[in-house]
Amino acid sequence: MTPALRIVQVGFATTVQDRGRTGLAHLGVPSAGAVDRPTHDLVNRLVGNPPDAATIETMGALVVEALRPVVVAMSTDASRRTITAGTRIRVDAAPGSVWAYLAVRGGVTVEPVLGSRSHDTLGGVGPAPLVTDSFVPIGPDPDTPLTADHAPQPAPVAHRVRIWDGPQHDWFVGGVQNLIDRGWRVTNELSRVGVRLETGDFPRSTRARPRMPSIGLATGAVQITPAGEPIVMLANHPTTGGYPVIGVVDPDDLAVLAQTRPGAAVRFRRA
Amino acid sequence: MHRRPYGPMAWLIDDVESPAAWADALAAMEVPGVEEIVPAESTVVVRCTRERHDAIGDVLDIVVPTDRVDRANRANRAELTLDVVYDGPDIAELAHAAQVSIDDVVRLHVTGRYEVAFCGFSPGFGYLRGIDPRLHVPRRSTPRTSVPAGSIGVAAGYTCVYPSASPGGWYLIGHTTTTLWDAASDPPATLRPGRAVRFRRVGS
Repeated sequence: MTPALRIVQVGFATTVQDRGRTGLAHLGVPSAGAVDRPTHDLVNRLVGNPPDAATIETMGALVVEALRPVVVAMSTDASRRTITAGTRIRVDAAPGSVWAYLAVRGGVTVEPVLGSRSHDTLGGVGPAPLVTDSFVPIGPDPDTPLTADHAPQPAPVAHRVRIWDGPQHDWFVGGVQNLIDRGWRVTNELSRVGVRLETGDFPRSTRARPRMPSIGLATGAVQITPAGEPIVMLANHPTTGGYPVIGVVDPDDLAVLAQTRPGAAVRFRRA
Repeated sequence: MHRRPYGPMAWLIDDVESPAAWADALAAMEVPGVEEIVPAESTVVVRCTRERHDAIGDVLDIVVPTDRVDRANRANRAELTLDVVYDGPDIAELAHAAQVSIDDVVRLHVTGRYEVAFCGFSPGFGYLRGIDPRLHVPRRSTPRTSVPAGSIGVAAGYTCVYPSASPGGWYLIGHTTTTLWDAASDPPATLRPGRAVRFRRVGS
């Protein structure tokens, strides 16, 4: 298809994402995919795309210009509109969030690599990050009915993120309860790979082994660094890691954590 | 060997004698709902759908690596020989750290018989076990911000070949021109868990 969008201005991290690539973690290939999958799915739904259509994910404001009439939906206001050639739109995170998504009816159709159009931030697999003045190809109209014009966003509430035991929970006195007992501020160390929380106290138990072997990581795994910083693994986490995993954030709550802005607090509850 | 909880979509199998062989055995069972099987140093992590998590947990308790699986994976394990020029920038530093001569570093490295224990760090990056204990050294104190593709590294009780340019903290002792990662190939990685590898010295 001919390009339908021109990138006028990119954010700090602006990439094409879908639901990621599976089945290659044993070769060191991260899943990648949208950090906030529910929002990625939502904007796709608004324009009538299947949930695995690729969208544009951005941290920091993105400005695009339509080269022909296109139907778009962005998470900024969770609504659908048709824009004409020459129209520019600005895609930025909804108030109080970090990541924004832009879906275009037909989906972003950059060439897939190993079964996915997601850019892998760590290993560089897949399409390169979007840059200013690049063009974005869009697929044919999916010929689906357009239903909801607008998806009401739930009001931000003090949501408690559910957490499960991780494989090394018993390396720490109290296990995941250490995370549940207090609120945690999100630091500005956040990316598609993971989110670092403020430093806490995680006393080692007698069951901790002297040496942590590197293990396969799961999305949502909470690693504890030697300095006591919890790092929550997001969609683009590495396939293996060398810090003990105290807990695992429930996949259904991970987007809440990923969208928490630096300086804001999160609270956990036992899953 | 035992199974440990890892959230609602994964299990960790601990203290596995041969993680690559165990992972092959599970893969051969083609269990519905299993999405990723990730062998590492002494563990295997199985990532799966939420719906099948409990059922898969029961299956994991009966996985037994067998010869049959090894035969089925013979092609995957076929020995790979990589031609190496031992001209890495850290070869003298490694010799010093290991308290051997530069010639010893080359001799010990080139005579080794290796196996890809597991992959990680970057796409197609294999941790090759089987390195002579005299070359067991920790990583360099300051990692390089960029290591060229094809560089042969030694550290942490393993040797490796950087499949693509990336940062890296291993001692670089040489290089190969063999391509080890190609996203357009199937499979894209030449170094796969369980594969046998040896090195052959060639001139620069």
